[in-house]
Amino acid sequence: MSDLDLNRRDFLKISAVAAYTISGMPGFLARAAAQASGGKTLVVVQLTGGNDGLNTLVPYSNGAYYAARPNIAIPKSDVLTLNRDLGMHPALKPLMGLWDAGQLAWMENVGYPNPNRSHFASMAIWHTADPSQASSEGWIGRISEQIGDPFCASNIGTSTPLALVAQQYALPTIDSVDNFQLKLPAGVQDAFDAMLGTPRDGEAAYLQQATRAMLKHTATVQANIGRYRAGTTYPDSKFAGQMKDIARLIASGTGQRVLYTSLGSFDTHAGQRADQDRLLTELAEGLKAFYADLEAQGLADNVVVMGFSEFGRRVAENDSAGTDHGEGSVMFALGRGVKGGVHGDSPDLEHLNQGDVIYRQDFRGVYAEALNGWLNLDARRILGGDFRGPGWLAS
Amino acid sequence: MPLTPTPIRTLSQEDAAHLLRRTSFGATPTEIQALTGRTPAEAAERLLTFPQTLEQSRFDPLSAVTAGAAVKLVQGQWMWEMLYTPHPLRERLTLMWSNHFVVGVDKVRNAPALQEYLRLLRAHATGTFSDFAVEVARTPAMLHYLDNDQNRKGKPNENFSRELLELFTAGIGMPGQPNYTEKDVTEGARGLTGWTFQGGRNVKTAFAETPVFMAVPRNHDDGRKTYLGKTGTFTPEDIVRLAAAHPATPARVAGKLWATFVSSTPDPAGTAALADTFQASGGDLRVTMQALLTSDAFYVARQRGSLFRSPVEYVVGALRAMGRPALDEKTVLGLVSSSARMGQELLHPPTVKGWDGGREWINDSSLLLRMQTAAALTLGKNAPAPTAPLTPLSVLGRADALQAPLARLNDKQRAYLMLISPEYQLM
Repeated sequence: MSDLDLNRRDFLKISAVAAYTISGMPGFLARAAAQASGGKTLVVVQLTGGNDGLNTLVPYSNGAYYAARPNIAIPKSDVLTLNRDLGMHPALKPLMGLWDAGQLAWMENVGYPNPNRSHFASMAIWHTADPSQASSEGWIGRISEQIGDPFCASNIGTSTPLALVAQQYALPTIDSVDNFQLKLPAGVQDAFDAMLGTPRDGEAAYLQQATRAMLKHTATVQANIGRYRAGTTYPDSKFAGQMKDIARLIASGTGQRVLYTSLGSFDTHAGQRADQDRLLTELAEGLKAFYADLEAQGLADNVVVMGFSEFGRRVAENDSAGTDHGEGSVMFALGRGVKGGVHGDSPDLEHLNQGDVIYRQDFRGVYAEALNGWLNLDARRILGGDFRGPGWLAS
Repeated sequence: MPLTPTPIRTLSQEDAAHLLRRTSFGATPTEIQALTGRTPAEAAERLLTFPQTLEQSRFDPLSAVTAGAAVKLVQGQWMWEMLYTPHPLRERLTLMWSNHFVVGVDKVRNAPALQEYLRLLRAHATGTFSDFAVEVARTPAMLHYLDNDQNRKGKPNENFSRELLELFTAGIGMPGQPNYTEKDVTEGARGLTGWTFQGGRNVKTAFAETPVFMAVPRNHDDGRKTYLGKTGTFTPEDIVRLAAAHPATPARVAGKLWATFVSSTPDPAGTAALADTFQASGGDLRVTMQALLTSDAFYVARQRGSLFRSPVEYVVGALRAMGRPALDEKTVLGLVSSSARMGQELLHPPTVKGWDGGREWINDSSLLLRMQTAAALTLGKNAPAPTAPLTPLSVLGRADALQAPLARLNDKQRAYLMLISPEYQLM
């Protein structure tokens, strides 16, 4: 029997127990259960489309940066200085308070072997944590199997990213917490139950199971969600709304260990400054409000945010005042659990691979620290190997 | 080996219902009856024969006062067409091609450009693939969406060149066995220089102005390029045709057709057979569709009910099964929004890859929204009055499906329950 078979069997045992204990548990008990298991939540923010790392964490003392980007470089005078060599894009100003408090970490030169410049192949690699592209399961999907609970992670958005795909479970996607409730019209309850109870196979059985899971998840969320009162005012953007829903789920103790959301599109082939400036503003304002809300709720110790994009962009700008697809980029993390600062060395802009910065830090090492150090899970089993990170969590 | 034809000689009621659910979004008992007893070839021929004229509606995107309104009116006009056209396969194919040669209204906010793009998709949906690809590459909506209008001699922009290979033609290939190199992307970008358009650029003032394609010789790099193993002074059209002629293109197109008409689960043997049919016909999409719609793979029992309906297919299918009841323009725009909330906004896929579909349409939120939409269409106080009865045959594909649960409900409740069943959400 292979390792895989053993794991599967363990999953099945664990999931049978978990399904029994979690269903129907009152909110405060579910919250207690989450706290017993560490009570820590990881929020993952996906910057879709390939965010330009060099204009996010700007090497403002580096002449090669300005030489490569005569039109779109961030002028030194606009940079939010972090240290002698690096500063943030001016749109990230709302995050300066977190930086000053030592609660914002940047990870430099993050990538993976044999970089792929396709958005979709590269995003799939980040989602599956498998650069060989052989895996059809997401890294968060594997968390749910290790814990044995499909409700341990949720996506906030309209469609479920591959990161949350599991073989055994359909992990929830919640478009909006307010609409996340089922009101069956009068007079059809019995027929609905009979319809759902009709034996089926193939994709019809999949839909049947997905509908049953949805019934359970909506009940859990609605039983708890009334407890939340916003601790701050959120800006009026879609991303901020998603972050608010994440705060609501955490504050009302629905028990997810991982919450996931996306912002895009960072695919800035032309006229990059306008698009990226707007998106980074939305990102920073949303994150600032989220963190303030957590502080007000007394939950700031329990939540860490980790952000990534599928790749960075070419060092040199193109002639449409944009940038084409690149390789390594930056990641960020924030929260009281984070060791603030810049982790890793800045890229060498004079020694490039086909015009791109060469990665030094495998992203799976960054994930591994979140899994081992924050979520208290066995990263080796989830990532399929030992990966070292830059030490971005506070010890 | 090309696709094996179906052994079915004449269509039973359930064969006809299956064919119409997949090619026409949904159909009434009368429409099912009209195809029952025909041969599969006759039925396919009838569905694939369509004119290019559109239905009359009060949607006029050129009358909009803002770009946002223009976009909504284009979406509404298309939704109207899907709901009321007597040629639904044309619109189902258009929907599929809009998910292959993707443009998005997040960036393209010019009404004439979007209308011209949709016209192209309809006109070429049963044409020759390589001609189709060339026309798409020249259309202002695509030139703008993937920045090829910015791609000039000595000032490359790789966006279109990359997606042409990765998404529109060859596909990326297997890990370790790529179908093309990074060099092909950069050389392709050189070859594609010089195609641009004039007019309609200002989103605030010119969203109703018609943009016009232009080839600008001085912006074209006419030097020698090596692209996909061939060397020459390639023009933009040469690059698109070379990409379309890549040996991996037939499999990629076949995969799209398979996912649209046969099954949400990829089938390497089935798509290889379909790719052979496509290849043997010289990329003739009508011949390929005719073979697909008369194939054993299309009609075989295990493939029935194996396709997930997309949100648009969900709402359009329900209303066509109800006999295309009259709706006002506002309600049609509401259907555009409902589909968007369920995950499919017309002309606005999340990325240039489009929607993957299949199980990805299904999650907690989309299931809830489907149930709400079904309630609004059947039980709501403004629910449209059906002009045809919703029957298990027409809605679920089988006359004997879900008999017991449906037994004690009234007509409206029966309609609601059928529309939220797994059987209707599949086709």
